[in-house]
Amino acid sequence: MVLLCHIDDIPEGAAKGFDPLQEGRDSLFVVRQGATLYAYRDLCPHYGETALPWRKDGYLDGAGQHIVCASHGARFEIDTGLCISGPCRGQTLTGITLEVTATGQVLAHL
Amino acid sequence: MNIIGPDTLVFGVDDVDACEEYLKDYGLESVGDGQFIALDGTSVIVAHKDDPSLPEPLASGSMLRKTIYGVADQATLDAIAAELDKDRTVKVLDNGSLEAQDDAGFVLGFQVTIRKPLSMPAEQINAPGASSMRGFNSLGVEKLATPKPRSLSHVVYFVPDFAKLEAFYSQRLGFVTTDRFSHVGPFMRPAGTHDHHTLFFIETPPHMQGCEHFTFHMAGPTEVVQAGTNMVNKGYQSFWGPGRHIMGSNWFWYFKSPFGCHIEYDADMDLHDEHWTAREMLPGADNSQTFLLEFREKWAPGGPPQQ
Repeated sequence: MVLLCHIDDIPEGAAKGFDPLQEGRDSLFVVRQGATLYAYRDLCPHYGETALPWRKDGYLDGAGQHIVCASHGARFEIDTGLCISGPCRGQTLTGITLEVTATGQVLAHL
Repeated sequence: MNIIGPDTLVFGVDDVDACEEYLKDYGLESVGDGQFIALDGTSVIVAHKDDPSLPEPLASGSMLRKTIYGVADQATLDAIAAELDKDRTVKVLDNGSLEAQDDAGFVLGFQVTIRKPLSMPAEQINAPGASSMRGFNSLGVEKLATPKPRSLSHVVYFVPDFAKLEAFYSQRLGFVTTDRFSHVGPFMRPAGTHDHHTLFFIETPPHMQGCEHFTFHMAGPTEVVQAGTNMVNKGYQSFWGPGRHIMGSNWFWYFKSPFGCHIEYDADMDLHDEHWTAREMLPGADNSQTFLLEFREKWAPGGPPQQ
């Protein structure tokens, strides 16, 4: 279990990348929709070693409806991680289990 | 046919503000109406994906909506119209340019080129045994610089059948294959340029059809790396590079982007003429670059600064 942040550090409808193992770049990201958080490894299934965003925290499309890989425009469902268009269509982002404490601390099971 | 190369790429994007900010940070100049130009006038045009003035998108949803080629003169334009009119619809738009689709459904435009002739030195270097290029007291590098892209270099498509498209561009539009990656696709140049390629195909499943990347030429490797460093420092994410390709010899640095494709800086591409024989190489990392570097934050050897 690794502490990522407080839930209020992630704006509603936005995404945020984290580097909990201090590898020098974000290795996972969290998307917030209301009180629900979704977390995935920051790796596109297409090549398997490419991080998704085009700049820090740039994981979502303009409308905040899908997760997007900025390499080739693959789109993923926020709630399932399923790729619905793009090179890795039918493949899925690797999910990460989160736990939110009573005080709003967000913990990740790595 | 005297096609010179791509004048303009037209994108229909999801997040117009982000794309416009990106192109300005990349070094292109905004001239209004979503158009961003390089020093020679070649450009990228950004519109919202629902803008009714854009050509229809590909079924894949690729954000690239049109590739507009510059040609030498009206006679070339007429020859292209006559050739393509044999088996497809060729529209003449209000500005006199042509619009038609290639054999994979990519929308193409053709216009008398808007490219302005450039007269600027390439990156100058000094080396033992060579006559001095830069001259006395002329400095090689600035600590801080914001290099400007000079000219739209090439576009790379994901295509479902590279052989079919290679035949179209060579037989119908006069492109020449300069080199190829086996089972992947050819590097092609039109008759009006000596650049190693303005077009490259990567064969993929049909649902991926679209733009893999595009790039503008810079003055040399220092500009590629300095412009790329500026992008990193603004928070943009490197995809691949800096490094130097083998086929074409061009220096490269690719960045991820909100255009659903990579955007590259390149420099010092090989020039070819009719005496060149196309090479064929197996795809993969070993044949894709002579070396690959990676950005890191500025650092210097030595102890802590003296108190």
